[in-house]
Amino acid sequence: MAAMTERISSVLARVPRGVYMALAVVLAAGFPLLNVIGVVETAWLRVGVMSLLFVMLALGLNIVMGETGLLNLGYIAFFAFGAYTTALLSSPKFELRWPFLAVVVVSTLIAMLAGFVIGLPTLRLRGDYLAIVTLAFGEIVRLTIINLQGFTNGPNGITGIYSPLLAGGSEVKTGLAAWLTVDKPIEYYYLVLVAVVVVSILLANLKNSRVGRAWNALREDELAAISSGITASRAKMLSVVLSAGIAGFAGSLYAYYSNVISPESFLFMQSVIVVCMVVLGGMGSIPGVVVGAIVLQALPQVIRQAAGAARSDFEVYRMLIFGVLIVVMVIFRPEGLLPDKLWRRESHEVDPRELEKTRQSLFDLEEGEKDLEV
Amino acid sequence: MSLDHIVSVTIGGLTVGMIYALIALGYTMVYGVLKFINFAHGEVFTIGGYVAAFTLLGLGVNDDMSPLVLAGCVVLALLAAVLVPMAIGFLIERIAYRPLRGRSRIIPLLSAIGVSIVMQQLIILVFGPAPVSMPSLAVGSASFVVFGIRIRVLALVIIAVSSALMLGLTYLVKSTRIGKAMRATSQDMEAAEMMGIDTNKTIAFTFVVGSALAGIGGFLVVMYYGSLKYDAGFLYGLKAFTSAVLGGIGNIPGAVVGAIVLGMTETYGVSLDLGFMAWFVVAGLILGLYVQMVRVPRRRLQHIADDRRTPAYEKSITDVYRLTPYYGFKTLLAERTDALLSVSAAHAVRLMFGNLFLAVVAAVMFANASVRIDTRWQPVIAFVVLMVILMFRPSGILGEAITEKV
Amino acid sequence: MDAILELQGVSMSFGGLKAVDNLSFTINENEIVSIIGPNGSGKTTTFNVISGLYEPDSGEILLKGESVAGLRPDAVHDKGISRTFQSLRLFSNMSVLDNVLVGMHSVTDSGVLASMLRLPKVRREEQAMRERAQEILEMFPGRFSGPRQQQPAFSLSYANRRRLEIARALASDPTLLMLDEPVAGMNPMESHEVMEQIKILRDKGYTIVMIEHDMHVVEGVSDRVIAMDHGVKIAEGTYHEVANDPQVVEAYLGKRAAEATA
Repeated sequence: MAAMTERISSVLARVPRGVYMALAVVLAAGFPLLNVIGVVETAWLRVGVMSLLFVMLALGLNIVMGETGLLNLGYIAFFAFGAYTTALLSSPKFELRWPFLAVVVVSTLIAMLAGFVIGLPTLRLRGDYLAIVTLAFGEIVRLTIINLQGFTNGPNGITGIYSPLLAGGSEVKTGLAAWLTVDKPIEYYYLVLVAVVVVSILLANLKNSRVGRAWNALREDELAAISSGITASRAKMLSVVLSAGIAGFAGSLYAYYSNVISPESFLFMQSVIVVCMVVLGGMGSIPGVVVGAIVLQALPQVIRQAAGAARSDFEVYRMLIFGVLIVVMVIFRPEGLLPDKLWRRESHEVDPRELEKTRQSLFDLEEGEKDLEV
Repeated sequence: MSLDHIVSVTIGGLTVGMIYALIALGYTMVYGVLKFINFAHGEVFTIGGYVAAFTLLGLGVNDDMSPLVLAGCVVLALLAAVLVPMAIGFLIERIAYRPLRGRSRIIPLLSAIGVSIVMQQLIILVFGPAPVSMPSLAVGSASFVVFGIRIRVLALVIIAVSSALMLGLTYLVKSTRIGKAMRATSQDMEAAEMMGIDTNKTIAFTFVVGSALAGIGGFLVVMYYGSLKYDAGFLYGLKAFTSAVLGGIGNIPGAVVGAIVLGMTETYGVSLDLGFMAWFVVAGLILGLYVQMVRVPRRRLQHIADDRRTPAYEKSITDVYRLTPYYGFKTLLAERTDALLSVSAAHAVRLMFGNLFLAVVAAVMFANASVRIDTRWQPVIAFVVLMVILMFRPSGILGEAITEKV
Repeated sequence: MDAILELQGVSMSFGGLKAVDNLSFTINENEIVSIIGPNGSGKTTTFNVISGLYEPDSGEILLKGESVAGLRPDAVHDKGISRTFQSLRLFSNMSVLDNVLVGMHSVTDSGVLASMLRLPKVRREEQAMRERAQEILEMFPGRFSGPRQQQPAFSLSYANRRRLEIARALASDPTLLMLDEPVAGMNPMESHEVMEQIKILRDKGYTIVMIEHDMHVVEGVSDRVIAMDHGVKIAEGTYHEVANDPQVVEAYLGKRAAEATA
């Protein structure tokens, strides 16, 4: 039995990664068709959209947490920056309706700016202090949103956010322009899916580049990294700003999609949920993080549907399970479900079995070499 | 602004500060020993409050009881508020933290966050999502008037009990065998182990003591405010952590000082005019300038190689320090300066900006002297203090204790 | 011979302790210089000051006539000084190849946008980096061949980890290579091999300054030897001159032993 699973996994491992990626994209793209042919309800499309938005958030957080090794506990604040920028630029609040692309770009840039401003004084702090500072930052942002009522409508939030127009300046309900207006769940689904796919490809490229390696080096040994020519402050700032930008982008799409945003959506718990997704999936592993986000966002909904539980009770159990999951994961499987190569090794600082196996095979080689030398 | 207003606000701030201090001690002790932020500590505090309130509710206390019986009930509640958190503190250390000992800083922190979430949900499941309310007792709201200032008896009780507990803790750490073991473990766990100290036991003890103090804090809070919500621990915990960092983490007197400073800042911040508070900023600025211009240069001078310590050299350095802002610009513009001076250049520039910032803040506050900050900003104050202290002086007011740390 | 590195009156103290005291020396082009001295004599502190981990209290450090004193470590590396550490400091969970690629950080320049889009320029650079990394790893024949390059650095044997650290330092083609105890913990055969490799590096034109305790290695490779004690340079010259210097003998063996030898 064990031999068989091993065989299967070795076969699975030999399939090129690209095949899995393509399969995942095809599955994700095919999902709404089930709705079109009437197999699943539209509510599930909404679950799908939210899952994809959380995938994007988790991908963004993974840059700082997984690649650079900095814990951010206020990550949802950047999401809020993106969402509120979008809401203000495209709602009756200030009677603005900027074009979709302009809004998304500005929202992303504002979130990046926020990342820069908070990163500037805090990035030299050690890991746990940085985590707490980011937590404080997240709470300050949320409380400020609540208190700046003239600007954000306080706890009531901003309502009536316009649907994105991919082309044209005003809402035209005919012809091409109507076709390019995104307002149905299925349209949002594809919009977000495209965004997620693009972001993950860009991040995968980055991971295997000079920049990604610099981040990993900083995570592994900061002193050695700076002695190898990496400017720590710049590289860390880059990762913080980039991850903030991705959150801002996701926030912008979220604001468009949900029409209504309020401070309720940007609680500390939301930051923790995103952290949980990264931990569950596997820090530093893009496929892992994607799976982690989908599992934690979509699976509870499925279970809830099946159990028919009331919403408030359900939330309690969901959070309970999340909490337990974090503890269990960091103790027993810190590398996550689909680990990245790097973290698998680091997290079990001394995993006797794996280490022994590697050592054994290497030792054999070493012995052989020595024979040659003598 | 009348004097009795200031006095009653000060007592309010002191009371809140003392409660923060009780919780902060748990953070600071655990950080001192393990270099680890016990994020779930706030929930231990909440549980203390809940257990106490439910004990009193269960005993059906009311004002008709004889004082003796009432006192007995309160003691029972206090016992519950100490023992249950102790057990919980012990368990979480054993289950969620011990397996992670020796990992990099953020991994145990993640586990602690997980524990914190779990405990919050468990409180909801066990006690229900509604805030717990204390039975209203005459004792709880009793007050007296001195010089026209109304003071709640309970506020004084809180200040007295907290002070006593802190003195007790200081004695425990400084003068007892287990205190010595704690200090040794915090210095060097391995070495302590080799000296025959059971570090596991010591660490467990640290958690248990910290949890007991937090439990008492929860009890006092629920008595003082009359109710407690299941997620109160998040905010109290963070404020207590802020206090610990503010005073210098790992430093027991520091935690108390930090907590009082934070409690005062919070209550003054929303109760007094900006014009009044601006004087605190001015005082801080003057103190800072004294340190920068007199204390620091003197200390730096001690490190200069003997052969260079000519009187002229000393004078030149002292002079440039006396003009810190001017000096900062000068070294920025200079192409290359003496290595010693360049050490201080970046520092001087930072100091200059810090001074400037404080001066501007004070000026703005004086300009809006009669404005009072709206109470809804109160929760923000603690977070801002936390961010500012971590960004500009992560070692805290009294410094992270190194030799005396727990 | 041109001076590559020049220290002029460098001092560094911690609190009241003077770890390096008014130290001056010169390293010339294509030369191997060893710094020796008992433990605590300030050798590693000197390295840390040169590589920018510490800022000297006073004095000047010139690399090819240009001051590097007080620069941050990454800037010093940019200028062309690369180093290894006494206690191995590899990126232990990164692959062997990636470790070397990180070493090239300051001689490559792909930015974040270009890397995300994997522009042709980035691909070319990445290709060139990998080829160069290959060349460097092949300087240690048979040690980092084939699949082993994909293995995490921590899985290597101790000696190979030391070799990998040298490879990482070489990756940026440094003007000056600083090796902090390159053969520490190696058996005689391994240290002999490293010695030969250091000689090969000199033949390739590298300039090397190293801290070493193994006198056999010091004797074998050094063009010049500098002896330090208590942060002060006590002798400088060829190996034999330094080894027979009474002050050096005293530093190592104590005053009485020194008198006995004399």
